[in-house]
Amino acid sequence: MTLNQALALIRSARDSGGEKQPHCLLCGFEPLHLKTLFQAHLLERLPGSAVEIQTGIYGDLPGGLAAAAESSALGAAVVLEWSDFDPRLGLRSSGGWAEHLQPDILASARQRAAHIETALEKPGRRMPVALVPPSLPLLPLGNTVSAQASVVELELEHLLASFLSRAARLPGVRIVQRNRLDRIPVAERLDAKMELLAGFPYTVPFADLLAASLADVLYQPSPRKGLITDLDDTLWAGIVGEIGVEHVSWHQESHSQTHGLYQQMLGHLAGCGVLLAVCSKNELTTVEQALARPDLFLKSESLFPVCADWEPKSKAVARILRTWNIAEDAVVFIDDSPMELDEVRRAFPGITCRQFHGKDPAKVWQLLGELRDLFGKPLLMEEDRLRQASIRASAQLDEMGDEAASPEFLRSLDGKVTLDWRITPGDKRPLELINKTNQFNLNGLRIGEGEWQRALEDPATVLAVVSYADKFGPLGKVAVALGKAEPDENGVTRLHISHWVMSCRAFSRRLEYHTLEGLFRHTGAAEIVFAFAETEKNKPLRDFLRAAGIAPPAAEVPNASAAYRLTRDAFYAQNHVLPHETVDVKI
Amino acid sequence: MNDTEKRLALCFANVFPELSDDQIRRASTASIAAWDSVAHITLLTSIGEEFGIDLDFEEFAEANSFAAVLELVRARSANAGN
Repeated sequence: MTLNQALALIRSARDSGGEKQPHCLLCGFEPLHLKTLFQAHLLERLPGSAVEIQTGIYGDLPGGLAAAAESSALGAAVVLEWSDFDPRLGLRSSGGWAEHLQPDILASARQRAAHIETALEKPGRRMPVALVPPSLPLLPLGNTVSAQASVVELELEHLLASFLSRAARLPGVRIVQRNRLDRIPVAERLDAKMELLAGFPYTVPFADLLAASLADVLYQPSPRKGLITDLDDTLWAGIVGEIGVEHVSWHQESHSQTHGLYQQMLGHLAGCGVLLAVCSKNELTTVEQALARPDLFLKSESLFPVCADWEPKSKAVARILRTWNIAEDAVVFIDDSPMELDEVRRAFPGITCRQFHGKDPAKVWQLLGELRDLFGKPLLMEEDRLRQASIRASAQLDEMGDEAASPEFLRSLDGKVTLDWRITPGDKRPLELINKTNQFNLNGLRIGEGEWQRALEDPATVLAVVSYADKFGPLGKVAVALGKAEPDENGVTRLHISHWVMSCRAFSRRLEYHTLEGLFRHTGAAEIVFAFAETEKNKPLRDFLRAAGIAPPAAEVPNASAAYRLTRDAFYAQNHVLPHETVDVKI
Repeated sequence: MNDTEKRLALCFANVFPELSDDQIRRASTASIAAWDSVAHITLLTSIGEEFGIDLDFEEFAEANSFAAVLELVRARSANAGN
């Protein structure tokens, strides 16, 4: 984006009348064009909103961070340069960097790094903070030629790496990948003239790259949830039905390491909570034997379900989607055959289809990078580890059919529902659930991290985070209800639920009824009002609203949220089956 | 209004979106409160980008009205053409 394109975008969005979306841009220099470009990139990612950028005072990064922590900003971008670690490392200083001064520069840089780290903690707890490490070249500090690294430069790099690894562990803080900035060579980043005359150190193209990177890190796309893989010439080299289980390969010594790399990537993704399934035109028994080979680079139990037959692959994909109970747009399908990819793509246009080129290492390398971006998320949670096991448990329940829904069966599960009423801003799982759940979702409304933090600060906010475990194992945190409890003029408390979601892994266990009971009990509300809106995907939620007597008859008020209410008396009069033990967690 | 003037007016409109076309043509550092040092440098870069010219800081600092900037851009564009 050029500066003029950014200015034009900001100008055209000026009268949008959209919701204000304040963000902070914090740096030790004059933000100038970076502010303009950052605002424009945020406008691209938050269309229709009124993005505002608040900046700090020149030369006072810690002060800016402190102010951000007290602000209503929804996100913050922090851009560090070497002069933030010691002013003598900047072009505008006259402090010098002679060798006798360098120990003091290093000591001061260590102190400042610790100071910045402390200052990052507060805003990180209230909003997502994207941080760019220094990206400009160091002054010519070394006694060496520029081709040779000097000790002082290496000491500073070491100090920086140590600081960044600590900062990345702070809640809410995300570090921009330095090598992403390598698209623009170091020699083309510094605008020395602009730095000396105006205090702004970057060329416009580099400021644009910084701004785009910050926006990308703050507003990441929803990660895909599942990957369906082919086997022959994809997970391994060779056609297992032709050459036999022992002769398919994925090893360096058999010149099929690209398949081994792919297996290792799938193993890594499984560890990150990505669902993996197999879709192969093969005999199932042959496939099971091949997947049982002990030298496989991923655990075969992380592949579920394994579909191997001779039907069109789209049919197997449909079965896998049903088992996983997730939407097609959350899934990636990988096959070596363009024909199979096309057949699946036609049946499921929302699926991301990618071809596996086992004989082209460069393309496999590119695919691995793409998979990282498709499935990457800022933070791994306990629920990611539990997902695969709970999908298997759900599949077992599904196989039981109607029997699995009977109260007797549900009671036999020894289930425990935990309703956590604590407001815990550091817990990112409730927000993740709200922003990725589609089917049991009250209205499909998503929330940004900053907006979420602001909601949690409201004293009227009620938050129920629902966890579940039974004899099949824990599902972790699987449902969230967010609302406000407010008394009317007669002192009668009404609970207005703005968001209510439940993971599809938790369906058919009546957790939604346990949640309602908990909401009435915990808040003492006489009535719950639901901000319902129909979406393309929330049919399971609509079915529940009807079953629970919350939804009016469809013909009367098809989509008026005001009509979606449930009184305490009506709820308890229905005597809903609550088959599990309930535990409340409060402050 | 010729093409250079139109393109320059667009640069001004992007930097001072609250000004009308007429106000832009009469704009000066004395009459527009928003025309501060940050706006001046934004204008400098915006104009440089639009016309593909490298304006000198000191020279541009003295261009304190739309008319003066227009004159400077015309001169620099002509030089660049030569």
